[in-house]
Amino acid sequence: MAALPAEGADGAGGDVGARVADGAADAVRRAPAGPSMPIAQLAVVDPSQPIVLDRVSRWYGNVVAVNDISFSLGAGITGLLGPNGAGKSTLLHLLAGLLRPSAGRVLIGGRPAWREPSIYREIGLVPEREAVHAFLTGRAFVELAARLQGLADPVAAAARTIATVDMAGAADRAVGTYSKGMRQRIKIAAALVHEPPILLLDEPFNGMDPRQRLHMMDLLRSMATRGRTILFSSHILEEVERLADGILVIYAGRLAAAGDFREIRRLMTDRPHTFRVRSSDDRRLASAFMAEPAVFGSELRDERLTVRVSEFSGFTRIVARVARDAGVRLFEVAPTDDSLESVFEYLVTRRAGGRR
Amino acid sequence: MPEGTARYPDPVSLIATSGLTKRYPGAITALDGLTLDVEPGIIGLVGSNGAGKSTLLKILLGLLEPTSGSATIFNLDVATHGIAIRELVGYMPEHDCLPPDMTATDIVSHLALISGLPKAAARERTAEVLRHVGLYEERYRAIGGYSTGMKQRVKLAQALVHDPRLLLLDEPTNGLDPAGRDEMLELIRRTGTEFGIAVIVASHLLGEIERVCDHLVAIEGGKLLRSAPLVSFTERTGTLAVEVEEGRDALVERLTARGLRVAIDGSAILVDLVDEAPFDIVRDTVVDLDLALVRMEQRRHRLEDLFRDDPSVAPVAPLAAAVPAAAAIPPPLPPADR
Repeated sequence: MAALPAEGADGAGGDVGARVADGAADAVRRAPAGPSMPIAQLAVVDPSQPIVLDRVSRWYGNVVAVNDISFSLGAGITGLLGPNGAGKSTLLHLLAGLLRPSAGRVLIGGRPAWREPSIYREIGLVPEREAVHAFLTGRAFVELAARLQGLADPVAAAARTIATVDMAGAADRAVGTYSKGMRQRIKIAAALVHEPPILLLDEPFNGMDPRQRLHMMDLLRSMATRGRTILFSSHILEEVERLADGILVIYAGRLAAAGDFREIRRLMTDRPHTFRVRSSDDRRLASAFMAEPAVFGSELRDERLTVRVSEFSGFTRIVARVARDAGVRLFEVAPTDDSLESVFEYLVTRRAGGRR
Repeated sequence: MPEGTARYPDPVSLIATSGLTKRYPGAITALDGLTLDVEPGIIGLVGSNGAGKSTLLKILLGLLEPTSGSATIFNLDVATHGIAIRELVGYMPEHDCLPPDMTATDIVSHLALISGLPKAAARERTAEVLRHVGLYEERYRAIGGYSTGMKQRVKLAQALVHDPRLLLLDEPTNGLDPAGRDEMLELIRRTGTEFGIAVIVASHLLGEIERVCDHLVAIEGGKLLRSAPLVSFTERTGTLAVEVEEGRDALVERLTARGLRVAIDGSAILVDLVDEAPFDIVRDTVVDLDLALVRMEQRRHRLEDLFRDDPSVAPVAPLAAAVPAAAAIPPPLPPADR
């Protein structure tokens, strides 16, 4: 089955806002006229975007690491998710031109990534593994990157980007003396030194402490608002949820879903939605809900009202009115399973045949 | 300190330190008069890199001597009761410390013997803890072929094998994917609640701490920043966040007209809760405008607020210079600057 057939570039406007592939496709058929969010760009392959994958596969002997994946990305932050071994790093390496696709095309700024050194002016890559010589000072390492890029004033460029990642204080120490978080930041400085419009990061938050994480999120966000295309892989779903405009989920080498994760959740119509409700009179509200066709169950346990609904918008449209008509004060209404955590779990357990 | 009551102390105090200070050569102060007292439970230990977390763990384990001050575990002084403490404490280090050519069974039972268990007991306990952490047939294979998740389990198993009363876990979910993290956190939670073993989890991932811990200790610059029950860090604020499907602007307008103080944050509308009246005003306005109410809940404080107070982490300012506006589609950069 062709996972995500390229749909042509001109499907703008009322296109699918998010997509779930394969087994979930049944839920997606009735493509809703999604709001024209920037996320919509993810779902449709638009060859004019800075990053384009067109039916890309990569295999190592008999092992298929990336299997027929298509997407395109524009300005903004995209989170790349998937279990260990799903093919995330292979995908990032294909994008960085470090691996030749076994089939399909990888385009960076319209040019094939493989064997095209000019793309290195456009991408900054932050690999997961340490790729820093311990004996160099942080500054020397970043200046080296600046020289490799052929910048006119490598010293100034290095100083500027070192300040960006907040490493000026430690720049003249050997990298070998750095903590993990500091090494990570100096790698990011080196990747940014030529101010590339595309940034690829493999687990950038690894080893960072809470303060450094906050700083890095602010940094990536501000770069995205300035029009950069940022793709980062991460296992920390809370962070992806807060940082990314859209997600790509890779499972067993295939693209399992792409887009805004809340929209992806809404497309999974085979899963009932649940809401947590707090009110001045939960018992009364619960019985009032039972008269509504959109609700197929409500449960009051330990002073907590949980409502199971068949259709998301069917419930959100009536909840306030039902409460008002029943004369109940609403304190809280919140979907309980639309976090990235639960969306990811649904996507992955579905694929693992419900094993896990 | 009750020196004489060493045999089986009453576990009111899990760990207590008083004026604990550690200076390393070169005028580096890792701990600076740290004073704290924590009761048994599942305790999260957070702090910036270099805040003194690792130094604290090492002193508690008796691997480092403090420059001054004192520390106790279960009322036993770490300086004088090293052996007794080791019987009571299990430690899961952060780094990859397992021999790749040994099997899980061999290394765990070996460490059980070192802990002083008789041979038969060591074998039985090893089988038991490996089952507890979810390692089955794999236990007879060499560790070199294990995934990160399996290695983390072996590290946890060896910390549990001598039946300790306190577990020290240093970044236990490092390198795990979402499913692996879930399983490890669940394991930690079960170990803490079902077996009644006190746990100290050092982690940078505040979301994780929030999920498993019931008490939080934050240290900063070698000093205690805060030590309190976890719930006290995530109390509700006086801000009500409201999300509707469409018609946000109309709702903002109507709520403002009704005298509410309203701000916008992404897709959410933030309403100031001076009293309970805004709850009804929001409900009724949503009905009047016929909107879909996706979410309405009071914002909560976040653990990360602990690390937000510092104005130096404020966004944008230092970044602006280095990040010029770039077009969405990069024109090939000028062959520039050779």
